[in-house]
Amino acid sequence: MIPTNLRRRLTLLVLPLLMWPATAALAGARHFTFLYEAPTSAPGSIELENWITWERVTNSEQSDQIAFRHEIEIGVTEHFQASIYFLDWFYQRDRTQSGFNYSGSAIELIYNLTNPVIDPVGFSLYQEIKVGRQHLELESKLIVQKNFGPLILDYNLTLEAEWEQQRLQERQGELQQALGASYELSPRISVGLEFLHEFVFPDWRDEEKIRNVFVGPNVAFRRQNWFVAVTALAQATDTPDQADFKVRTIFGFGF
Amino acid sequence: MKISIISVVVACLLGCESANYAPPVTPQMAAATKGRNVDWLREGRRLLVHRCIECHTLPPLWHYSIEDWPGIVNSMSHRASLKPAERDAIIAYILAVRSIQE
Repeated sequence: MIPTNLRRRLTLLVLPLLMWPATAALAGARHFTFLYEAPTSAPGSIELENWITWERVTNSEQSDQIAFRHEIEIGVTEHFQASIYFLDWFYQRDRTQSGFNYSGSAIELIYNLTNPVIDPVGFSLYQEIKVGRQHLELESKLIVQKNFGPLILDYNLTLEAEWEQQRLQERQGELQQALGASYELSPRISVGLEFLHEFVFPDWRDEEKIRNVFVGPNVAFRRQNWFVAVTALAQATDTPDQADFKVRTIFGFGF
Repeated sequence: MKISIISVVVACLLGCESANYAPPVTPQMAAATKGRNVDWLREGRRLLVHRCIECHTLPPLWHYSIEDWPGIVNSMSHRASLKPAERDAIIAYILAVRSIQE
């Protein structure tokens, strides 16, 4: 069951945004869902993105999690954009229990250094700060992209630090590299692949040698002031507590 | 086998890259477009490679006719948050490139 106060908060925040008319400018359309691209939004543009990520773990407990993110993306200058993840929440279900939870809110900043078309390589820097109930997370990324005509090659190197539980005593680090390719069949439709390689460091130690690899296809469609991108990933490693399948959909529209 | 695959991938990438999707502005372009200001054309190029790739990759500029380009850019200018002067600069740059390709 959803707690009453959370239900009220969700209704107040999500419903008006979902009903917002899609009649205005789009800041940018995504080709990938697990990777960020180097170009930043046009100055003055505002966009709402809704993320839905379904993850299934098929070990003996067999659990499902559906995570939601609601983000407003603002183009500040020609090379700088800021985003607010004003609500991250999720529904989780396993053999013994189920329920909704608020996971946090965040600020994300992206600065574009070079262009993926006219420069040898496009670079951007990314920083995210996320705060939740007994949760603090910092995430830094280097985004590297090159456009070869209709083909986009994208690479993200991410370092993530998390603190959880009471007094934020439990800590974890993660290093992730992600590679994506997307080919535009037409200006509206693109298809491609995404590949994630994670190194997880519980308590900032590497004793457990946790390595996860995910790979799968993506498809993106854009039209007028909205876009939708979907990626389905399967785990290529055999880490028991990690999701075996992930499907992420991002739907965005401009104001 | 690995070398063959790598060779095919590199050939595909070079093939895609061989078309210059946004050639630098030259004095010939300005001269060919009734003396358009070079800085104005440079601004058009800068906007083209920044704003248009937020949603899609750049098509080869010869892909559409000179008559079609103003309508194409105009139809997407709102989505790309382009002011009228910025839209006109992009169109001027595209037409300048096309004029020396003709």
